[in-house]
Amino acid sequence: MSSLGVEQPPIGGVAAIVGVGNTRYGEDYRNRERPRTARDLAAEAFARAIEDSGLAPADIDGLAVARAPGGVQPDAAFLASLGLAPAWIQPPEVEDPLTVAIEAMAAGKCSTVALLYASDQRSASVKYGGAATASKYYLSYYYYHPWGFSSQGAHWALMTQRHRLLYGSTEEQLGAVAVAQRRHARLNPDAVMQKPLSLDDYLASRYVCRPLHLPDYCMVNDGGVVLILRRAERARGGRQQPVLIAGSASVHVTADAAQLRPQVLDLQYGAIRAAADACFAQARLTRRDVKHLQVYDAFSINVPIALEGVGFCKRGEGLQFVQGGRIEVGGELPCNTSGGMLSESYMHGWNHAVEAVRQLRGQGGKRQVAGADVSLYTIFTSEMSKSLLYRSMP
Amino acid sequence: MSSDAMSTDSAAQPEKRPPRTLRDDNDRRFWDYCAAGELRMQRCAACAKLAWPPAGNGDACDACGGKDFSWERLSGRGRLLSYCTFERQYYPECPPPWTVILVELDEGPLFISDPEGFAPEEAREGMPLAVAFRSSVDEHGAFHLPVFMPA
Repeated sequence: MSSLGVEQPPIGGVAAIVGVGNTRYGEDYRNRERPRTARDLAAEAFARAIEDSGLAPADIDGLAVARAPGGVQPDAAFLASLGLAPAWIQPPEVEDPLTVAIEAMAAGKCSTVALLYASDQRSASVKYGGAATASKYYLSYYYYHPWGFSSQGAHWALMTQRHRLLYGSTEEQLGAVAVAQRRHARLNPDAVMQKPLSLDDYLASRYVCRPLHLPDYCMVNDGGVVLILRRAERARGGRQQPVLIAGSASVHVTADAAQLRPQVLDLQYGAIRAAADACFAQARLTRRDVKHLQVYDAFSINVPIALEGVGFCKRGEGLQFVQGGRIEVGGELPCNTSGGMLSESYMHGWNHAVEAVRQLRGQGGKRQVAGADVSLYTIFTSEMSKSLLYRSMP
Repeated sequence: MSSDAMSTDSAAQPEKRPPRTLRDDNDRRFWDYCAAGELRMQRCAACAKLAWPPAGNGDACDACGGKDFSWERLSGRGRLLSYCTFERQYYPECPPPWTVILVELDEGPLFISDPEGFAPEEAREGMPLAVAFRSSVDEHGAFHLPVFMPA
């Protein structure tokens, strides 16, 4: 796929995460009586991240707000409520606020950034399919209405079925992903999904869009995440062991994305591989260094496809790879150890960042991955892929 | 069904469908060709790539940036790439179980469509398919929906 343009801003090694905070996803999910706005959620996550970092709000001179359905705007009242007066602000308008924030630090615009994500998507009844899916979404989400094709899930169902037709992978094999992540969620007090999920439970669960069962879908819930980043040379000496952003690269695939060609025909391998290769090169790390993996799991099928795309296994073997506890804590390559978006919280990947940091600090509790010092995050969607490498700083 | 059958259930009542997306004249033109029993798409004059969904007025070719397109009639032939079946209802017009297929047209584009005359369990990778047009209606009026049957 030589036509793929890799975007690889030289941000590796520039910044480290020195504080993380998140809302109590499970408690909020179970307690529907407790109305939470995105602002409340953001404020709660921010207070926890500040506490975690040992810094004060006055130390924060940069603020980046992540895009989110039912998100927050960094207006004056909101900043005042958090005690913030940052010199640099990135409103929720960019796809990759983490990279933008690190670039701002590299350019000397700020040195300590709070990256804030909050969403009240569940309380606000955000929908991800149907005739009301408006043109603000991607073309393939609404152009095929006359044929009854809708929802993100249907895109991934086509991809899953394609994998089955090509490689003979099975429903039982895919079930291992949701089962593994539910086991992880049950080791995480903050996770929404605490009910045990066996392979039999998975197979007996209802389909939403065949071949995907309900547990193959991420949930929709409210929550907030805040990361505190500092320039790497100023990251040490705080309350926590800093975690370096060692490398980052992304690839966009726009040609034919509306036809689902890269996603269904190529299973997005070209983009995933190109982004991962560039990320490893920037971080001067290899696949063998990765002790912990976080995959953006809008759907369970993301995990095996990412394993194949990044190159942890051969094409077509991702669902064989996830068998036998290999992606569980204690296995060869523990993946989505907080429960991921299937079972912990659907924070559009930001909960994955928090979990990577906790694992690399050794704060994973019952789900701690022994010897975790390098963590890879990989995301791919209909039109892009990105890889990000985290590394513990001594 | 005879091989030259280009319209299915022509005697039947038009089938109610979720709304087409009609952004500008190019979307309407696609459906006008369907009403005439033709599957047509815009071919880029510079690089020959076919645009689907239609390129809008002023849109550039997503492969080369060219802006000149001409509507070309396609063979209506393709092969099955994948399929899925909705068990949850997203549209009142499409009660579950509702199966959708993804077809790779012989000329290249990938096309979301309805299976015509075969069940999901009969679907196999690469199965050859041919277009047919189903009399349909949505909130914009009557139209002919391209669907695919075993070739």
